[in-house]
Amino acid sequence: MTITRKRLLFGAAAVAASAALALTGCTSGSNGNSSKAGGTTSVTLFSGQVGNFTENFNPLNNTGAYLQPTNGVIYEPLFYYNKAKAGKPVPLLGTSYSWNTDGTELTVKVRQGVKWSDGSAETTDDVVYSLNLVSNNPGLNTSGTEWVAKKTAADTVVIDFPTTSFTLEPQILGNEPIVPQKIWKNISDPTKVTNDKPVGTGPYELKSFTPQSFVLEKNPHYWGTGDNAPKVDQVRYVSLANADAATSALEAGQTDYMGAFLPTLKSIMSKHKNLSYSNSPQATTALFTCANVDLGCTGPQTDPAVRQALYNAMDRTQLDKQAAAGFSAPASSSLLLNTVNKSQITDPSYLEVPQTANVSKAKSTLEADGWKLNSDGYYAKDGQELDLTVNVVSGWTDYDTICQLLQGQFKAAGIKLAVNQMAQNAWSQAESTGKFEMSMNSINMGVSSDPYYQYSAYLASSATAKVGTPAPSTNTSRYSNAAVDAAIKQLATTNDDSAKQAAYKTIQDQIVKDMPYVPIYVNSALAEYNNSRATGWPTQDNQYAFPLPWGGNWGVGIVLKTIRPVK
Amino acid sequence: MRFYLQKIVFYVVALWAAVTLNFLIPRLMPGNPVDIMIAKMGAAGQPITAGTRHALEVELGGSGGSLIQQYGAYIVNLLHGNLGISLTNFPEKVTTVIGQALPWTIALVGMATIISFILGIGLGMLAGWKRGSWLDNLIPVTTMFQAVPYFWLALILVLVLTRVLSLFPYAGGYNVATTVPGLSFQFIGSALYYGFLPAVTIVISSVGGWMLGMRNMMVATLSEDYIVTAEAKGLKPSRVRMTYAARNAVLPSLSGFAISLGFVVAGSIVTEQVFSYPGIGQLLFTAVSNDDYALMQGVFLVISLSVLAANLVVDVLYGLIDPRTRARS
Repeated sequence: MTITRKRLLFGAAAVAASAALALTGCTSGSNGNSSKAGGTTSVTLFSGQVGNFTENFNPLNNTGAYLQPTNGVIYEPLFYYNKAKAGKPVPLLGTSYSWNTDGTELTVKVRQGVKWSDGSAETTDDVVYSLNLVSNNPGLNTSGTEWVAKKTAADTVVIDFPTTSFTLEPQILGNEPIVPQKIWKNISDPTKVTNDKPVGTGPYELKSFTPQSFVLEKNPHYWGTGDNAPKVDQVRYVSLANADAATSALEAGQTDYMGAFLPTLKSIMSKHKNLSYSNSPQATTALFTCANVDLGCTGPQTDPAVRQALYNAMDRTQLDKQAAAGFSAPASSSLLLNTVNKSQITDPSYLEVPQTANVSKAKSTLEADGWKLNSDGYYAKDGQELDLTVNVVSGWTDYDTICQLLQGQFKAAGIKLAVNQMAQNAWSQAESTGKFEMSMNSINMGVSSDPYYQYSAYLASSATAKVGTPAPSTNTSRYSNAAVDAAIKQLATTNDDSAKQAAYKTIQDQIVKDMPYVPIYVNSALAEYNNSRATGWPTQDNQYAFPLPWGGNWGVGIVLKTIRPVK
Repeated sequence: MRFYLQKIVFYVVALWAAVTLNFLIPRLMPGNPVDIMIAKMGAAGQPITAGTRHALEVELGGSGGSLIQQYGAYIVNLLHGNLGISLTNFPEKVTTVIGQALPWTIALVGMATIISFILGIGLGMLAGWKRGSWLDNLIPVTTMFQAVPYFWLALILVLVLTRVLSLFPYAGGYNVATTVPGLSFQFIGSALYYGFLPAVTIVISSVGGWMLGMRNMMVATLSEDYIVTAEAKGLKPSRVRMTYAARNAVLPSLSGFAISLGFVVAGSIVTEQVFSYPGIGQLLFTAVSNDDYALMQGVFLVISLSVLAANLVVDVLYGLIDPRTRARS
């Protein structure tokens, strides 16, 4: 035994010595090799990715598992639909498009002279192939409609639909990546590949990949010239675990482009003159109420008067200050954005929700509906106290704060609120299956800023289901209203502006009265930029693309080809 | 021989139980991945229609069959080393995803645990040997660091050493801008530099326990008769200290060490969060919050296997170090 132990000790000493040697070795190594390649310009992007990157550049993947630059930076669609401002789509691989009058045939002119990043020519056939690939594959086609694309001239694609399909336009033109036929025709199941060596038409191509960071470089074959061509040589993607690390990275000048909510943003900006930011509020934070008794909702919130009272009892100025650090924007009771959708909000009184609480109005609404104050200071009806429970994801600190503040604000109006903090998966299951009274969530814009997408996803009867069954889309409020359904159908089948405007009016009049979602504010969407290595980033007033560097945002490609290196 | 056979049978049963629980627990959690994915897509502004749910269900190829059938398929796949496909990283294999994260965690937390153990045992031994010396004063200091919540200690160190003084990097596993992973001095040097601060926080927050335990065992052992005998024989004090006192005093700490080695794989979620370190804790967190059953199972499996393996190794070693545990009563 003794001998063995001595040998062991000797062995350990040898290992320690060699480790020490290795240590000295690397110190000298890293000192000798710290110089960077001269002349290469580079920006670093933090996309919100946590932990290791998993190599996936499959642009057709629907699960959101592809890495951020896949759609928009490496692959391009036909047109870019900018959700940050009203306006026409930006031509990318398409140059123009037109519909026939009944909305069953979409004709697209395809840009000529485009090359894939491997140098071979991108053709109209690739466009036809890409569009049909999605249409024919049930695992890829999220639209529920099958279309047929065919080439009718060297530069023309005609897409045929079985029914009137005006509303599929942004999905097909703005949300389908064009992929090279020569590569994808050999892939038997396009949903099950990670596409490690992406070949696209976008402004950047993949240079090198490691799970901690990867680098894109300028696509030398990019079709754009001048302002439309990428000017920064390389883009590096990094991952950070949390907002603290993101703040550190931003302040230390180690990221150039990121989209994180930083409560102390204003003080960071005033300390560092080379930083700038933009805010593009898109998602309307609202109290989702399970509103429909016919589909199985229970609780006091099924009474529209109660929902109206909640709407009026909120002090939204306080909520904005304390939960959103003053970065949120006023919501509209039409549930649309009063910035991008201003012309589609049909009544001036729907433009902006009240910013201060109107307790007397809330109380009178309840009293007119037969509620009476009890001795505890809460309203009651038929012996039932006005006692509501709101579900909120614990750890979504801004929403948790809102709920706490609402507790106090509602109490002043005689409404009792209980806050139920839950894990995200339990919360999302409760909401999807309708087993909730109220839920803190946000109403998100669809594929473009066209109100149809929002209204059809959140208000249509076809987007909901009985309590107990998961809602097929996001109408978790179980809202169902024949007039609204008819108007949504009208929106889907017309391209005529006055008919659309009339439909918007019907929908907005109904939901302002029914209030299935009680709007709070439009959540901030902050993107931060460092101007010391590159300039030309979006600004608050010039959001030439939706700037948040999240997965699935095609606008990042536009931003990255617009910025220019600082000389 | 019988001793080892008993151990092996015990570990086989424990392994089966771990594997089965590992299958059941994720399925008892609420929620399903399609709902979560739809919520995420909505938040990213993707269009959600009735077709979306259908497409996702087709793409992810739902969990078919009854629970028993799923269990059968799970065991068969497990025997083939197939842990399935990670839904959050669809369609990447779970083994690939775990393989990317595991080395970082093992290197960081493993090294830190070993350093902490050796340091704590060494200091505890000396403190017990020279009772009442200045070394005893280290004990309250180190136990105080252990009593401070770990995340708080780590955040303070991050603030002071990376933000105020800029001595260390604040995030990451190595310098991604200047080095490429591989067996180069440059990369290893960078990884050591980036791992130093997280490792230090683990060491200073755990060394106190080892030190306290070892010191007290040392004191108890020193009052044993065989120590007096050894001293009476005129042995050198260093020999009495190492081979007579320390060797016996270290036994209880050793089993604690085995347990903590097993938890190296699991016990790093907070460290990895605070230091943005690319490891398995982060992965587990992502898997749980996205209802990624396959990934969760994979991570839990790796954790339970490592705990079992560490226990097995120490059980066997214990038989060598302490012959009493082998003897039949």
